[in-house]
Amino acid sequence: MSGGWAAKELTEKGLKTLVLDRGRMVRHPEYPTALKDPWDLPFGNRITQETRKRKYVWSRTGYPTPANELWFTDDLDNPYVEEQPFDWLRAYHVGGRSMHWARQSYRFGPLDFEANAREGIAIPWPISYEEIAPWYDKVETFAGISGSVEGLPQLPDGKFLPPHDLNCVEVDFKKTLAEKLGRKLIIGRCANLTAPLTHNESPQRGTCQARNMCIRGCPYGAYFSSVSATLPSAERTGNMTLVADKIAYEVIYDNDKGRATGVRVLDANTGAQTDYFAKIIFLCASALGTAYLMLNSTSSRFPNGFGNDSGELGHNIMDHNKPGSSNASVEGYLDVAYTGRRPNGFYIPRYRNVGKDKRDYLRGFGYQGRASRAGFGRFNDSASIGAELKKEFQEPGPWSIGMTAFGEILPYHDNHCRLDRDKKDKHGLPLLVVNAVVRDNERKMEQDMKNDAAEMLEAAGFKDVKVRSDAYNVGNSIHESGTARMGADPKKSVLNKFNQVHACKNVFVTDGSFMPSFGCQNPSLTYMAFTARAADHAVSELKKGNL
Amino acid sequence: MDTEQPDLLQRREMLKRAAWMLGGAISAPAALAILQGCSAQESGGAPVATKLLNASQLALVAEIAEIMIPKTTTSGAKDAGVPVFIDSVLDAVYPQDAQERFTAGLAEFEAAAKSSGQAFLEREPAERVAFVQHSLEAALAGERDPKPFILMTRELTLLGFFTSRVGISENMDYVPVPTVYHGCVPLSQMKKHVYWE
Repeated sequence: MSGGWAAKELTEKGLKTLVLDRGRMVRHPEYPTALKDPWDLPFGNRITQETRKRKYVWSRTGYPTPANELWFTDDLDNPYVEEQPFDWLRAYHVGGRSMHWARQSYRFGPLDFEANAREGIAIPWPISYEEIAPWYDKVETFAGISGSVEGLPQLPDGKFLPPHDLNCVEVDFKKTLAEKLGRKLIIGRCANLTAPLTHNESPQRGTCQARNMCIRGCPYGAYFSSVSATLPSAERTGNMTLVADKIAYEVIYDNDKGRATGVRVLDANTGAQTDYFAKIIFLCASALGTAYLMLNSTSSRFPNGFGNDSGELGHNIMDHNKPGSSNASVEGYLDVAYTGRRPNGFYIPRYRNVGKDKRDYLRGFGYQGRASRAGFGRFNDSASIGAELKKEFQEPGPWSIGMTAFGEILPYHDNHCRLDRDKKDKHGLPLLVVNAVVRDNERKMEQDMKNDAAEMLEAAGFKDVKVRSDAYNVGNSIHESGTARMGADPKKSVLNKFNQVHACKNVFVTDGSFMPSFGCQNPSLTYMAFTARAADHAVSELKKGNL
Repeated sequence: MDTEQPDLLQRREMLKRAAWMLGGAISAPAALAILQGCSAQESGGAPVATKLLNASQLALVAEIAEIMIPKTTTSGAKDAGVPVFIDSVLDAVYPQDAQERFTAGLAEFEAAAKSSGQAFLEREPAERVAFVQHSLEAALAGERDPKPFILMTRELTLLGFFTSRVGISENMDYVPVPTVYHGCVPLSQMKKHVYWE
């Protein structure tokens, strides 16, 4: 996600740029399963026992199927240590997790950027919403984000392509929530092209075909990924060299020069070691991947890990707390349905601890969900057979609605990762140990997440309201972040406000590592905006001779 | 089937249009790969070696599946390749304890048929239907965790049927490339009431 942005921005500003990825090459529009029909997928597209065994962490999410499993990294081959249950969900290939992200794209607002300072939590953000807003404009315009303009202070509007439709049930649910509870329901803001882009920089990208098979890779280039969008731009400049299958495991630091000179890599297939040198380095390996790389880069100057003067490197891991989903049956609406497959759902923006609302916990949560008509699965537990059953096939099933709350997790120093140098992977590299749990504030918030869901579904008159309590492992929302936070004070943070390592200014970290707090919004858009801003700063500093 | 060909034609046309829309940005081999992707393979022909079930177990499962979804004016479970599908899914997807539960349940099903008069496959068609119907009703009234054999078979039959070409094309509006999402459509305006998703 962020790596593609760094590549695009740096190459477009004229820098010869080497892009290293630890996984295999992926090129747009070569997505092997993207156009397979249901009958061309084995086992009714159910995950096999073999995949469950090999991709045992990914299997906890329920995502892998024969149609998409090529985008989910083999966990057995890539061990780590779960000191507390932690879902480290990796995508080791060019494009990384941008290949199969959920495409939900929300700005963080002033409420989020000011929260730590106002509440005395962790450290203040070193940057305001106003400073990052133009960069949101820029990345939204390039990526193509669809959505509706709502005027919500806690969820600022952006540069939107037309919104997807809400379906018939969702439209009425929206009305009910507004009238009875004063809460907003909006269509999700997502990185799918509901209309042509407003620029001509991505001729390889077409509009959304409403297939909802994004997770397989989109040959139409209709959702934003590094492979469909930013890397092609970088390639067109002629300034990019993209090398796959190279595992960067150490930042090379030159004590005399007081700067990083490059990175040390292993070839993922042969194990051959290579050193690559550069004037500036962007680390965009995901919050745990980058923390790993920095922790593994020790020198006399940085005995505790690269740039780790503060002792915060690897700490303050956050994600979004997702302790369960809620669902209900919807009566009626039997004479209506929908056509096409919407790669998006509805969103209920945060309303807790917003404005006059005050709770006994900090921060808040949002819901993502959808209403739909039941498919053939509803016949699994019915007794009808033969001609009667075949007749029932001809009508869609009843409506139901489901939604999942994503809650903010505070940054806790104790939620951390570190290296275990006594344990090694097949490349001989030390293993990452992860230890992160949700704590009191999150547990208090969970009560509201569940009670409010039931309240809203009941207010709409839906039946059989069920609020599930699922075990949540940190990492399961695939939003892990915070391991190299930015801040004004080098004693308390790893990066400055331009994502530069305080102690080594020619290294930038622009994946989720930099986040000092986390909001409840899906974070990728924010990583894009900060990456573009950091790249701009890097090139400007380079030109001034400061790097 | 009559209903398939227009869909396939429409799909081929959509993909051609998409390739055209993407213009020079899409390489010739990639465009070819996309277009070839829509020539779905016909199933059937030579019998496939089973993985988990022996011939007599497969025959019994096939008959139960066909009773649940019989061939009428439209295709049934056997036409859709459901028996072999069930064997392959049991083998690759189900954990060993579920496989064992399935084969044990299958044996019990046959034993119950015999003890109440006659082996299942030797019964008259109407009797077989009644026996399956009774088994389903009994299973639905009883303990369902873990899932009893007859309900496992039903789930697998439905999954196999509705991921098959005939099962989908004869019962649903399967549109590989819808191009647009409409959120609220009267069923009266839909080509078929069930839209594949």
